[in-house]
Amino acid sequence: MTRHADPTQVQLTADGRLKHFLTTEGLTKSLLTEILDLADSFISTQERAVKKVPLLRGKTVVNLFFENSTRTRSTFELAAKRLSADILNLDIARSATSKGETLMDTLWNLEAMYSDMFVVRHADSGAAHFIAEQVTPGVAIINAGDGRHAHPTQAMLDMLTIRRHKGTIEGQTVAIVGDILHSRVARSQIHALKTLGAKEVRVIGPATLVPKEMAALGAKVFYDLEQGLADADVVIMLRLQKERMSDALLPSESEYFKLYGLTEAKLALAKPDAIVMHPGPINRGVEIDSAVADGQQSVILNQVSYGIAVRMAVMAMAMSGQASEQAAEKSQGETL
Amino acid sequence: MSTMTLTQVHLVDSDLTKENPKSSLKSVDVIIENGTISHIVAAGEGQQLNQQDPNNTVINADGALLLPGIIDLSAHFHNVASETAAAAKGGISLLCAQPNSHKSITDTPAAVNLIQQASDDAGNSHLLPLGALTQGLKGEQLANMHGLMASGCIALTNARAPIKNALVLRRIMEYAATHDTLIMLTAEDVNLSGGGKMHEGPTANRLGLTGIAEVAETTSLAQQLLLVELTGCRAHFSQLSCARSVAMIRQAQAQGLAVTADVAIANLLFTDADVDGFDSTFNVQPPLRNETDRLALLDGVNDGTLAICSNHRAHDIAAKKAPFAAAEAGMSTLDTWLPMMLTLVKNNELSLGALVNASSVLPANILGLTTAIKVGNLANMVLVNSNNEVLFTEDTLISAGKNNPVLGMPLVGEVRLTLSEGCEVFRA
Repeated sequence: MTRHADPTQVQLTADGRLKHFLTTEGLTKSLLTEILDLADSFISTQERAVKKVPLLRGKTVVNLFFENSTRTRSTFELAAKRLSADILNLDIARSATSKGETLMDTLWNLEAMYSDMFVVRHADSGAAHFIAEQVTPGVAIINAGDGRHAHPTQAMLDMLTIRRHKGTIEGQTVAIVGDILHSRVARSQIHALKTLGAKEVRVIGPATLVPKEMAALGAKVFYDLEQGLADADVVIMLRLQKERMSDALLPSESEYFKLYGLTEAKLALAKPDAIVMHPGPINRGVEIDSAVADGQQSVILNQVSYGIAVRMAVMAMAMSGQASEQAAEKSQGETL
Repeated sequence: MSTMTLTQVHLVDSDLTKENPKSSLKSVDVIIENGTISHIVAAGEGQQLNQQDPNNTVINADGALLLPGIIDLSAHFHNVASETAAAAKGGISLLCAQPNSHKSITDTPAAVNLIQQASDDAGNSHLLPLGALTQGLKGEQLANMHGLMASGCIALTNARAPIKNALVLRRIMEYAATHDTLIMLTAEDVNLSGGGKMHEGPTANRLGLTGIAEVAETTSLAQQLLLVELTGCRAHFSQLSCARSVAMIRQAQAQGLAVTADVAIANLLFTDADVDGFDSTFNVQPPLRNETDRLALLDGVNDGTLAICSNHRAHDIAAKKAPFAAAEAGMSTLDTWLPMMLTLVKNNELSLGALVNASSVLPANILGLTTAIKVGNLANMVLVNSNNEVLFTEDTLISAGKNNPVLGMPLVGEVRLTLSEGCEVFRA
């Protein structure tokens, strides 16, 4: 028995346009490609002296961060500003909800300020999804990371990075290394990579950090870094949180680095032209050796600048999807 | 003197055993005098018997099913009046009230009296209080187990609060065995559950939700079964969720241990796949597991190993209006429990005989009660049009909890009359 429609379709309008951006799962190849193409076009505007485009002029975007984040929040802020939107930053991690206000109460208060878009980061998986189901029609929700579930803008900037450096995503062998279990980035990357035609997606780490169920998402599980890196085109290193040691998931940082840290010698097992990525912030000497992080094959800093363009693209697309849905509903109302 | 005559009922034979799970239906008239079943006669003969009685209520059942009183082995009551009314309308005669349900924890005779009083005041389906096994349900010190039973508890349980110390558990079982007290246990190693909110499997991984592994239930069940064997107590395991657990209960019963078990209705209808979309309605304890587990649990019910409970827990809207993991666990099911079971019968997943066995005969045996439809017994029964479609909405639910999983879903089973301890508590 079930009473649900496909949950990934909450983010789409009736005619298949993006109106929220909650997850890369369930989106078509053409829609993901549209995001990348639009982001590409914004990269060229970013290199101009005047960086603003007027796509979100008069719109109010609220950065709703229930988890602390400086980098992701700043790139969303810059993206909104470059789209000419007004932006309000709310650091909920240090305000209302810690005073006992529920997520719903916070939302209703913010909606009363007539915002057009919420960029949401929350520690609970499904939080952005939940908010998208609760908000007034016409308000777009962009997921800036929910629990372990999804971080779709990070995944799309990684796709853009791969496409710009490797020409295409199709046919690439991509190895994702590290704490897959807790990683919303990895989950969003796997969905996007599979849809965009990657040849093979590998997840590499110890069994405590790599659930065997990852195979159900279409990833190939490796417990050995050397085997997993063999002939890879793209190597994505994930950040290792310090808590993993106290949670009895790992013995020590040093043992982890010895087994799963990326060194030049290990990177040599991948294809010679393989690129190295990391969603940041990096732990030098824990998951990645400094020589690799700063080396020829590293594209880590490029990822950051592409992040703004990708966020501009999904914000513009979701706002336009909302507008078209509102217009469609209005005209339907008139014909009735 | 009051008489009620039910004519043309299809009586479902409650004399069901594991060896004879196929129920037989016979068309009869049933007469209830002052709350007690006085006559069961061939259809058409009942009406003559009480023609002169001016207080005779005649209900033409017109072929509706008459089932023996349904007993819920586990429900939570915050608001006794609204929830027992929901049970009455839902066709349930008797309900075990979990010790953490009412205004206080049922670990003293005074708290037991409070529940009994609230149940009497409501005048709906009758509540059977479950007392706490440990003081404050903390799992540390034994509650006054004998005193709680003497004050009217039907059994003792720690609800789903863990008893982490196995030595405490052993002492509880020894003490219960001393007084032949029925204890109701749950099987969950909370350390292995790891704060999880749903079944550990592909759906949990995809949604990024922490999973509760099957071993969190089975290792705990194995440990407790060994302690039951050692202590010789009578133990009922509430709300099992895994296929392996059913096999373990079967094996323990074959071994001769005095153990019984039940499954929550939700686990017979839904799986972890229903959590997709982060619907917090499906955040329940124990979690909904996979299809293999669901089918094994149905097998366990169909072969008479498992009873079925509602595991009802009404929540206000705010408790469920949150991201999945942040929402309170539990489903509101009393209004729809019987229709949910009858829908399983309609879908050929459950036999009617197994339904009666699992929701009435077995619970009665476990609790040492009888709700069989036999002359001389107090009337506990439900009259239901088992083929009539019913559709529940938030507005038609009597329960204060709108966190019901089958709203808007077509079910079968329209309850026409519910009798609890000889009293009419609902009539459509």
